Amino acid sequence: MNPIVQRSGGINVLLQGNEAIARGALEGGVVFCAAYPGNPSSEILETLAEASQKLPIYVEWSVNEKVALEAATAASFAHCRAMVSMKQNGVNVISDFLTNLTLSGTKGGLVLVSCDDPSGISSTNEEDARLFAKLADIPLLEPATPQEALEMTRWSFQLSENIENIVMIRSVSRLSHTRSNVLLGDLPDFRPTPHFDLDSAFHTFPVVEKHKTRHQKLDQAAEMFEDSPFNHYQGPHKPELLVISSGCAWTYIDEALAILGLLDRVGVLKLGTTWPIPKKFLKKHLTLCDRILFVEDVDPFLEENVKALAADLGKEIGVKEFLGKSSGHMPHCGEQSPHILLNLFADIFGIDYGKRAYRERLTPIIKEMVPAREFGFSPGCPHRGTYYAIKTALAWDNRDGFVSGDIGCYTMGIWPTGFNQVKSVHAMGSGSGLASGYGKLEQFGFNQPVITVCGDSTFFHAAIPALINAKFNQSDILLLILDNSATAMTGFQPHPGTGSTAMGSEADPVDIDALCRSLGVCVELADPYDMENTAKTIYRLMKEKGPRVLILKRKCAIVEGREGKFPYSLNVDQELCLGEQCGCGRYCTRIFRCPGLIWDNSNGKARIDEVICVGCGICANICPQEAIVKENVEG
Amino acid sequence: MDDSISNGQCQLIDKVINKGICVTCGACVGLCPYFDYFDGRVVVMDRCTSDTWRCLQICPRADYDETSLDKIIKKQDQISEIGSFKKIFMARSSQEEISKMAQYGGVVSTLLIYAIEKGFIESAIMTAKGGDVSPAGTIAKDRSDILNCAGSRYNASGGLAALNRAIKGDKERLAVVGLPCQMEALARMGLMEPDGAERVSRVNLKIGLFCTWALDYRQLNDYLKNVGLEEPIKKYDIPPPPSQVFLVLTEKGWREFPLDDIRPLIQKGCALCDDMTAEHADISVGSVEGLEGWNTVVVRSQKGEEIMTAAVEDNHIQIDNLPKENFDHLKEASLNKREKSRIATEEMKRRES
Repeated sequence: MNPIVQRSGGINVLLQGNEAIARGALEGGVVFCAAYPGNPSSEILETLAEASQKLPIYVEWSVNEKVALEAATAASFAHCRAMVSMKQNGVNVISDFLTNLTLSGTKGGLVLVSCDDPSGISSTNEEDARLFAKLADIPLLEPATPQEALEMTRWSFQLSENIENIVMIRSVSRLSHTRSNVLLGDLPDFRPTPHFDLDSAFHTFPVVEKHKTRHQKLDQAAEMFEDSPFNHYQGPHKPELLVISSGCAWTYIDEALAILGLLDRVGVLKLGTTWPIPKKFLKKHLTLCDRILFVEDVDPFLEENVKALAADLGKEIGVKEFLGKSSGHMPHCGEQSPHILLNLFADIFGIDYGKRAYRERLTPIIKEMVPAREFGFSPGCPHRGTYYAIKTALAWDNRDGFVSGDIGCYTMGIWPTGFNQVKSVHAMGSGSGLASGYGKLEQFGFNQPVITVCGDSTFFHAAIPALINAKFNQSDILLLILDNSATAMTGFQPHPGTGSTAMGSEADPVDIDALCRSLGVCVELADPYDMENTAKTIYRLMKEKGPRVLILKRKCAIVEGREGKFPYSLNVDQELCLGEQCGCGRYCTRIFRCPGLIWDNSNGKARIDEVICVGCGICANICPQEAIVKENVEG
Repeated sequence: MDDSISNGQCQLIDKVINKGICVTCGACVGLCPYFDYFDGRVVVMDRCTSDTWRCLQICPRADYDETSLDKIIKKQDQISEIGSFKKIFMARSSQEEISKMAQYGGVVSTLLIYAIEKGFIESAIMTAKGGDVSPAGTIAKDRSDILNCAGSRYNASGGLAALNRAIKGDKERLAVVGLPCQMEALARMGLMEPDGAERVSRVNLKIGLFCTWALDYRQLNDYLKNVGLEEPIKKYDIPPPPSQVFLVLTEKGWREFPLDDIRPLIQKGCALCDDMTAEHADISVGSVEGLEGWNTVVVRSQKGEEIMTAAVEDNHIQIDNLPKENFDHLKEASLNKREKSRIATEEMKRRES
């Protein structure tokens, strides 16, 4: 049985951090869950969606994060417990609603989970979403382990109801995706009684009064945090160094201290409630020692808030020496790791850490032995065909045209796998917004054509307003919607165009073609696998004016492959391929770069890697010698 | 994989493509996958890593290795006002069907059809009209293919791309019809390392067309669209001076445009060209000023002489003496073009230095 829906607790199960958050939400009595997919947060809603098959809860993939929070807030206003989950970028998307919602306040427990991605491992940015808690005056909880993730999430609904405001939980990639044993609690009875009380009204007026109330709610939370079990100190009575830490980074400290034999010299103050900071609790521990180090992921959030507190307490606790990002002891960017802490503690305590040079010695050897790998579209990926067609059309056009990119698998168009065609990538839908701006620069003499791309899910999420803007302002925009019928980058979650919902029920798909046509813009369709004709269509559309949409429709190759529908078997004719003598300069593997094409160094000719090749057949048209041969296969 | 980008291609891009002096002869197109001819223009598709630099060697607008290759090619100029030649006369097709559709005397079409019929060649590299798409090189295999290409395009149309295509195909013997820049590219191809000699050995007959300049297809197209002419073009013509007009034939009939409007659409690279009469051809063909229905024919090589003599003897082509004043005028025009090219080249070098 799926342990996530296990009614009675008391048992230990192996859970991923995100699963623990989902279980915590269920134990906390959540009935309404909404999210937009994004690494590292996606598994939370996926887990809850699966749970919805057994438990009476509602789960949805929303069209974007803002709508997700708005939908979940409706549940809260109707006295139901609700949760939204997203990656750090999503918090930017919800921020306008969030900073208003926190003035109006909430009813049923409402929890916002942000899974931040330090180092931007699967993100376009590195961002510390904790700052939004401070900005919006809401309580912030930072779990360090899956167990804590479960417990904090479970408790956060109660906290939210106590203060009548939304509560934020901040995870990071390493916590969301780690697995450990977690002790489950019991699931409650899910008996929500949704009702909107007509005596209440949720708005922000009078603004200053509501702002004051918001601060009072925060003070109330601060009071509760003072004796929270999520904050604790471990270490000697008189440590030589006090480390203040939160979140996943805290787990690396013990490991480093143990290796260096520093457990009886260094004290560790672990905070789980990081906004507002528990002042009395902190004051007590700041007096332990005069040297204080901060260990946390991304921004100096704790560091700055605790330093501000120390300034307030200066007369009572005296002058402290603070080590952290500001002093240069901790790196300003990138995620924390055990080896950063090992090196730092060794430096601070002058310990000759024998294995220290190991990593430095290993790095060059690894670089030598491990082949360089780059991001790449899968074999058969329609985006390869799309970018090849774009590359061809832009070269034909010869006016220094370029691509304004967006968020999705096709972001990889900035790299060789997409022929380096994409020249800018920012937020969801921003490629189209930028394009609508480029499209108005002609009056100043701008004469470079711009193509913008966005995926189907990104189109629904945030590109539609930009397209409407282009229509309204008659901007010369050419939007290519790369419709692969999937939210592929984040793991194939359903979206408004796929025909099903998070809970598995059928949903009449939103027709992108009809939607665009209804705006009165020019809409055409093309097949990314038919690269030459697609290039010709793009070339022709580039010469036209006003808003234009080209929908490039092909199912994601991974989905297509699972369905077993690729029609061809590919082969490189070893007589036709002239290899290094051809003069093509290894066009197939150097330029086209499908991983299914490989260069056989033993005879200096191209080959198909039959394990990797899926049989889409689009490479058959690229060889100048026509040496790549495709054959239809049965079934 | 750390591939270094070919310096040869870089030089071609810097010296020719980016300067906008490519004359769209098409010689570089199809040697490799890195150039393409599309909608009237030669474009760079990708950067290459080859160290053979064939594209630079073959380009008639690149000063590749001035010490050797260029000198061999330019030596032609010193021989006479119109390059080296054996005979000059005027000629026209004996076949009415051809004369009717020809730009002038129909000599090129007639000679090619004759050459194929006699087994002298198997196919000819020519320029297809294009209709509503840009004109482009084509491989003509028979009488009807050849007649479909009759008439001037006022554009090089990347025609030699079709030669590179044909060389990849069956091992047949070819004729190439082209503008002076294309004849020069063929001469360069003969000297091109490593495989130029082998490639050019497939070309059995080079027919050059007189040319004062060619038009940039895209600019011409934009111009014609702007003046409301959107139908496929059937034919262009520039009547002899003092008319000063450019004529365009579509299904709706002829339309006339002031030549002064058209001159700005001339390819920039044409100003640098010093060859009006296609001095590197076996046979060069042009109009005869003041005599409609005739071609001026310059026979330059042994091969050219053989096929021309045979075509005349078999009564496919009629010939007559070229009036002296026409020959004098041709020499003067040819010298004029050389002088203009000298000035334009110096001007370009001055501006660059």
